[in-house]
Amino acid sequence: MVDSELEHPNIIVENVQVRYTVDTNDPEQNAKGLRRIGNAMLGRRGQTTVRALRGVNLVAREGEMVGIVGANGSGKSTFLRNIAGVEQPDRGRILVRYQPLLLGVSAALQPSLSGSENVRLGCLAMGLNPEEAAEAFDHVVELSALGAAIHRPMGTYSSGMGARLRFAIALSARPKILLIDEALSTGDATFAERSERAMDELLAEAGTVLLVNHAAKVIQELCTRAVWMHKGEILMNGPAEAVAEKYRWWAWNVAKGKEDIADKLLHDVVSNAVKEEINILEPELIRDPIPRHAARTVKKAVKSARQVNRRNSAEEVEETPGPLLAAAESQTWPENLEARRSKAKFPALPKPASQAVSAPRIHDEPPPLRLRPSDKRVVLRAADPKDRASSVAAADDLTGRRLESRARQIADDRYEERQKLRQETDMAPQESHR
Amino acid sequence: MSDTTNPSDSANPLGLSTIPSVSSEGLVPVGKRTSLRSYLAALWNRRHFIIAESRAKMSGSTRKNLLGYGWMFLNPLLSVLAFWFIFGFILDSDRGIDNFIGYLVIGVFFFQFTGKSMTGGTGSIRSGASMIKGFQFPRAALPISTVVRNFLDFLPSLVVMAILIALIEPLEVITWRVVLVIPVVILQTIFNVGLACFLARVGHKIPDLTNFMSIISRFWLYGSGVFFSIEDRLDKHPAILSAMQFNPMHSYLTLTRNSLLYGIDSPMWMWAMGTVWAFGLLIVGFLFFWRGEESYGRL
Repeated sequence: MVDSELEHPNIIVENVQVRYTVDTNDPEQNAKGLRRIGNAMLGRRGQTTVRALRGVNLVAREGEMVGIVGANGSGKSTFLRNIAGVEQPDRGRILVRYQPLLLGVSAALQPSLSGSENVRLGCLAMGLNPEEAAEAFDHVVELSALGAAIHRPMGTYSSGMGARLRFAIALSARPKILLIDEALSTGDATFAERSERAMDELLAEAGTVLLVNHAAKVIQELCTRAVWMHKGEILMNGPAEAVAEKYRWWAWNVAKGKEDIADKLLHDVVSNAVKEEINILEPELIRDPIPRHAARTVKKAVKSARQVNRRNSAEEVEETPGPLLAAAESQTWPENLEARRSKAKFPALPKPASQAVSAPRIHDEPPPLRLRPSDKRVVLRAADPKDRASSVAAADDLTGRRLESRARQIADDRYEERQKLRQETDMAPQESHR
Repeated sequence: MSDTTNPSDSANPLGLSTIPSVSSEGLVPVGKRTSLRSYLAALWNRRHFIIAESRAKMSGSTRKNLLGYGWMFLNPLLSVLAFWFIFGFILDSDRGIDNFIGYLVIGVFFFQFTGKSMTGGTGSIRSGASMIKGFQFPRAALPISTVVRNFLDFLPSLVVMAILIALIEPLEVITWRVVLVIPVVILQTIFNVGLACFLARVGHKIPDLTNFMSIISRFWLYGSGVFFSIEDRLDKHPAILSAMQFNPMHSYLTLTRNSLLYGIDSPMWMWAMGTVWAFGLLIVGFLFFWRGEESYGRL
C-alpha cells in the first residue's frame, strides 16, 4: 500500500486498556470470610473485574472508513466510547485530530417533543449555535426523509424512523470523525442509500468513520478496512474483504456449534497475523518557541489573530497552491505557532454559518514542533499478505490522500462503484462457505 | 499493508528504522480535561443547548397533563391557598410574626428553589448518564441545566406569590424596596449553581448521597427559618444563633421578606453574607466539578 496512507492519521489508539469492576452473582466469585458477611448485609454477592479492552492499538487515517466486527461483548462499544472521549481508558492513550462524534444524539432527544423540535434540540446538543441549527434544519429534514412525520412527537416514531432522524441530526454537525454503533441496520433501503452517500461525502472531506456492525456484508460493502475484535483484543486488522470474510466464517461455525473448527480458525488467524509495528513520532516541546519576527505588539496580534482564526476555519487545502502544500505540511511552524498562540489568547469568534463545522481542532497548547520517535511502538495485527482474500481486497483499495476539490467526484465514484458491486453480487448465485 | 518493510523517507523523516511511522503532530488526547479558559468557552458555547434542554424537559413533563403549562401557575396558587387555609383560617396562628402567611409563603417557595437544585444537582450526573455516554460536551452543563430548569419552574411561582401576598390580608407594605427582590433572586441562583456543581461531583463519587440529601434538606429547611423566626426561638442560645446566621438561606429569606413584605432596610452584613456565599460557592463548586471532568463517563 502507499506510504502516504501513514502520513495523516486522524486517530491513534495506543495500548488502550479498560477494566470494569462489576457486581456478580457467580458463586465462584463470592468473597470469603468477613467480606462475605459484609457483602451479604449490603445485598451483594461478589465483585469481579472485567477486562473490556486488553491493549488495543489502532491507527485510522483520513478518508478511511474502518469497520469493526466481533461477537457481542468483545468490547466494540467500549472501544468507541473511549475514542469519543466520553470515557477515559485505564491505561494507554488515544490521540485524535478532531473531536470524534459518537452517533449518540438520541440521549438528548425528548420523546414527547415533535421531530422538528428535536432536530433543533439535537443540533444544539451537537454544539451548533441557533443560527447554524436553523440552517441545518432543512438538510436534516431532507436527509431523514420523514415527510409529514417530522411534525409528530418522536415517541410515536418507529425505531427505524427514529434511527433515521438521529443519524441525520448527527451528520448536521458535519463531524470529521464519526463513530457509528450499529445504527444503520434499522433504516430501510432508501435511507441506506442516502446515509452511505452522506458518509462518502464526509470521508471525501478527509474525515474518518468507524463503523460497528455485526453484518459482515455491510462492512464489506462500506468499509475500506476492518478490524476484528475478540475478547477485548484486535485479532485481525486489514482490508475489509479479508477480515469480514474470516469473521463471517468464524461466526458461521460458532453458530452451527462447530466449536472446534471455530477455535482452529481463531488460532490460525492469530498465528498467521503479521505483527506490523508502527512508530509514533512524538512532538517534542521546545521551551521558548517564539521566533523574533513573531513577537509583535499586542494590538497587531489582535488583528492577525482574527484573520488567522477566520482562515483556520476555512479549508486549508484550497487556499494553498499545490507545490507549497508539501512544504507547508512539514515545517511552517512560525505561522502555525502564531495562530495557535493567539487562538489561546482570544476567545474564538463565532464562525460564519456557511462554514458550520462543529468539530473544531481541539488544541489546547502550542503545536508540536519537532518529531521524536516514541520509545513504545504500536503493534497492529495485520492480515497475512499472502492470504488470497487480502490480495484480492488490496487491489481495489480506495484509501489515500484526497484533496478537497476532488471530494465530490470521489464520493460519486465510490457511490457508483458500490452500486455496480451490489448489482453484481445480487446477480451472482450465493456462494456457500463450505 | 503488503510492503511494510519498504523504508520510506516521507513517513519516517528521521530514518531511524525501517518501521513505518505516523506522526502524532496535530493530534491531541481525546476527552481530557481542558484548561479552565477553554472549558468556560465551551460551556458558554453550549448555553443555547442548556436552555433548550431545560425547556424541553419542562414542557415534556407538562405536556402529559391536560392543562399543560397551566400547572406551572396552578401549582403555586394551590399551595398558597392551602397555607392560607391551614394557618390563616383553621389554626389562625401567627407565632408572633407579622403577616405570617406571607412570611411562610416566601420561605417555602424560596427554599424550594434551592432545595430542588440541591437534590437535582446531586443526581444530575447519574440522571444525565445517557447524555454523558452519548456525546461530548462540558459536563458542567448538567448541574447547570438542573438549576436552570428549577429557575424556570420558580419564576411563575414567584409571580403568583407576589400577586397573592399583595391580595391576601394582611396587606404588605409596598415600597421601592420591592425591586431588591431581583438581586436576591440572582444571588440565590448563583449560589444554587455553585451548590449543584459541588454536589454533582460528590454525588457521582458517592451515589448513596441522594438518599441522604432529603434529610439534609429537611434540616436546612428548619435551620433557615422557613416556618419560624430563628431569632425568636434561639434567643436563649446565642452561640447557636450566631452560627445560624452564617446560613446563606437565612440571609436570602430575610432579605426577601424585608424587601417584599415589611418594606424595611436589611442590615448590610446580610447582603455581604449572601454575596460572599453566592460567589464563593460558585467558584469553589465549579472548580471542584471541573477537576473531576474526566471521571464522569464511568458510572
